[in-house]
Amino acid sequence: MRHRGLETDGIAPYLFLAPLLVLLVLFILYPVTMNLLASFTEWKGYGPQKWIGLSNYEKMFQDQAFWTSLLNTGIFVLYIPIGTAFTLFVAALMRESIAGWKTYRAILYIPNLLGYVIMGVIFSIYLRDDGILNALIRWVTGAPVHFLIDPVLAVNSIGLILVVWLHLGFGIIYFLAAMNGIEKSIYEAAIIDGANFWKTFTNVTVPSIRFAVEFFVVFNFIEVFARMFSFIYTLTQGGPGYSTFTLEYGIFAQGFQKFQAGYASAWSMVLFVFCAVISTVQIRLMQRRDA
Amino acid sequence: MKKSSVFGPGAQITVQALMVVLVLASLLPLYNVVSSSFKSIDEFTVNPLWPPQKVVPDNYQYAAFSASLLQFTVNSIVYVPAAVVFYLAVCISAGYAFGKMRFALRLPLFLLVLFLSIFPQLLLATQVFKLISGLGLTNTGLGAVLSWVAYFAPFGTYIMTTYFAEMPYELVEAARIDGAGPLRILTKIMAPLAKPMTATIAIIGFQAMWNELPFSLLILQTQELRTLTVGIAMMRGEFGLRVPILSAALVIAMVVPLGIFLLFQRYITLGVTAGAVKG
Repeated sequence: MRHRGLETDGIAPYLFLAPLLVLLVLFILYPVTMNLLASFTEWKGYGPQKWIGLSNYEKMFQDQAFWTSLLNTGIFVLYIPIGTAFTLFVAALMRESIAGWKTYRAILYIPNLLGYVIMGVIFSIYLRDDGILNALIRWVTGAPVHFLIDPVLAVNSIGLILVVWLHLGFGIIYFLAAMNGIEKSIYEAAIIDGANFWKTFTNVTVPSIRFAVEFFVVFNFIEVFARMFSFIYTLTQGGPGYSTFTLEYGIFAQGFQKFQAGYASAWSMVLFVFCAVISTVQIRLMQRRDA
Repeated sequence: MKKSSVFGPGAQITVQALMVVLVLASLLPLYNVVSSSFKSIDEFTVNPLWPPQKVVPDNYQYAAFSASLLQFTVNSIVYVPAAVVFYLAVCISAGYAFGKMRFALRLPLFLLVLFLSIFPQLLLATQVFKLISGLGLTNTGLGAVLSWVAYFAPFGTYIMTTYFAEMPYELVEAARIDGAGPLRILTKIMAPLAKPMTATIAIIGFQAMWNELPFSLLILQTQELRTLTVGIAMMRGEFGLRVPILSAALVIAMVVPLGIFLLFQRYITLGVTAGAVKG
């Protein structure tokens, strides 16, 4: 991106941008703005809207499902450092060109390929009380683990699978590419100095790819706050009860299952604030990296 | 890329063991689906774990025809590539404007696009549905395609922008001296040079739209119009108790994503690293 004097390309750039901008205004900007208005109304999602002031927000703050959604999101966030550290560790092992690493990398990428809907349904079968994982567990302990029936286990299963497990393949490719950019001589010097794997991992590898690590963390925040719906919809459908709700799932449940779109819009505004913060952090990171 | 390993023989065995555990943990849920898909309901009840003793194709027949998965696959194969073509046009043209053209609002508009690129679909869904109904596009492929392209274009635009920005400006200047206009410069010179990155965002866009659920779920409500992804998500509720049929459906749904992976692995790797972050 460069500026050559004050000369501009006139109207042409705006014409080139027009298709994108029209779509963005219609499908993102306008919806976000209308959500704000809708959050002050009683509305089914169709038909008339009735202005009710802050009632939706008052109702939301007394709604146990809303607080559960926030708490669950907090639990998922706690899995982010675990997932990031684990992914970095596995990528660093693969960087040592261990035998078969390309095959491992390809297999671990499969979940990223299949997407949240297929993976959600796959895990809904896999984690059932009479599923294959429990067939193995019963073999060892004699009793099944109620992964999707016990509320606490269900939330943590989602956190572990979505945040730590499903992005492993994506993170490995991403980190390996970043690690490729590290000067080989730094490693050689470290090894001559007698540094072992752990020393080079903590002193060379991780500090050298700090930007990549930061972006991976932000990427995970985006997944947790803004991309989880399809997985929860297919794995637990928010249940048992509302114990695996997130803000996204709550919006779906209130807006499209109970037809309380006005109320769902109040939830949307809370989600909007979180996402605006994450988006700003991401832009700051980009500007700092490109500076 | 090889050098002497930092791992001694003992450590190498430990590392290999860890990798094998990870790979097995990754493959076990997939094995489960494939193996269950060939079992009769009766066999599945008594033998959930081991491979089928008697292979039955009935589940596939049921999933493909009675549960309409074949129809849904055809729908996806029609809508998604159409959407990808539209998406590429939008991303290339906007990416070129941001990456290589000079105009007063370049930075503010670019930041706006970046800012809007992460909002969750559910945050937009109520209003997108209202808009699509207002345009009379409920239950049309066009409605779904428009909503997908709008939602996924910001990230594709971002990647194309960074790619165009790194191409030498002299290419544009030389073409301009030859008397070419902006549209001609883009279509005849710059876009052909951006082919590798175009292929990359085509794959990213294809995967994102192929796997898209919320908008399709709301816009394509009639059974005949459903995409494969919507079909699978709905079957999860309908056939929740009949695992072998659901498994057969999953295997059918995995064919296209896995095929894309095998054919275009190089671009997928590029795609992961193209943007600093996934959209």
